[in-house]
Amino acid sequence: MYKTLFPLVLIGTAFAATAETGQPLDISALPEPGSIDASDALAAWDRIHDVASHPRCLNCHVGEDGIPLWGTVAQPDRPHGMAIVAGDSRIGAAGWSCRTCHQTSTRPNRVEHAAPHTGMDWQLAPVDFQWVGRTSAEICQQMRDPDRNGGRDAAGLVEHILHDAELIGFITWSFDPGAGRAPAPGSLQSHLEDMAIWTAAGMPCPQ
Amino acid sequence: MDITVNGTLHSLDLPDDTPLLWALRDGLGITGVKYGCGIAQCGACTVHIDGQAVRSCQVALGDTWGDVTTIEGLSAPDALHPVQQAWIAHQVAQCGYCQSGQIMQAVDLLSLNPTPTDEDIDQVMSGNLCRCATYPRIRAAIHTAASMMREA
Repeated sequence: MYKTLFPLVLIGTAFAATAETGQPLDISALPEPGSIDASDALAAWDRIHDVASHPRCLNCHVGEDGIPLWGTVAQPDRPHGMAIVAGDSRIGAAGWSCRTCHQTSTRPNRVEHAAPHTGMDWQLAPVDFQWVGRTSAEICQQMRDPDRNGGRDAAGLVEHILHDAELIGFITWSFDPGAGRAPAPGSLQSHLEDMAIWTAAGMPCPQ
Repeated sequence: MDITVNGTLHSLDLPDDTPLLWALRDGLGITGVKYGCGIAQCGACTVHIDGQAVRSCQVALGDTWGDVTTIEGLSAPDALHPVQQAWIAHQVAQCGYCQSGQIMQAVDLLSLNPTPTDEDIDQVMSGNLCRCATYPRIRAAIHTAASMMREA
């Protein structure tokens, strides 16, 4: 069953506060379904793709090999040190889980080069969500496909961002990754708005 | 704040964002756990929380989610853990600085994988650096400890 919380997004409180950052997400101006034309939606998709294809996101959206990356904008394909293989579980090998180093904590990431943490347990994205080596069109098709996006419809994709903000999860962290790390382009607010625009227009994808 | 280390409950008057490593070493005087890098790059500070190996430099005291075990609490002096016995048998340590972290990581490995292959060992232990390069002896000792634990 698809997650269908879009009406709640549109008629709920205008501000969805994140748990501890004190940076509320403004949901008062998100567009109504059907109110966006295709060109605006494709422009929003391009901005979503700029986020999804940034190393801050790609580093954990890897393929079946389960090898996370320590990619940077200058060197996006640099593998994670220490010969890490996250395995089929995507959370690490037996006796060597991601949590050995990456804690689950909503505290700010203040120490440069330390293992970053978020309010969610550290893990790779599911293998269906592989974005490394994928074109914009391929990522777009995956993101709009409930069979490959965690069972989410349009509203579910917007809700995914709001839920992540409540937890200070990976999406939220990607825009504020802390000391020494380049953030994903834009802001969590702009990413939420782009997702709302793209989904309100029926999630069109580039050819 | 309260924290249980090696079976003993302690109250510490430290900021809750103090790294567990420093709470152990400076707050409680438990110095078997070592500082190497402070950024989870070397493994010298590895301890267990509820049996799971973690880098104590990365855990805020206030986020410590369970009981902590350090090398001092792994076993009694007259009944060493099989991993410690194997370490002695193979004379693994050279300078010894990284060895408590190595042992704590190896114990967690064997608790989850009682029959590790060379590849398993290399993968799990690859985050524990040894500047004396005792890696061949570490691997041999883990195989020996695994045999001892299977036969026990």
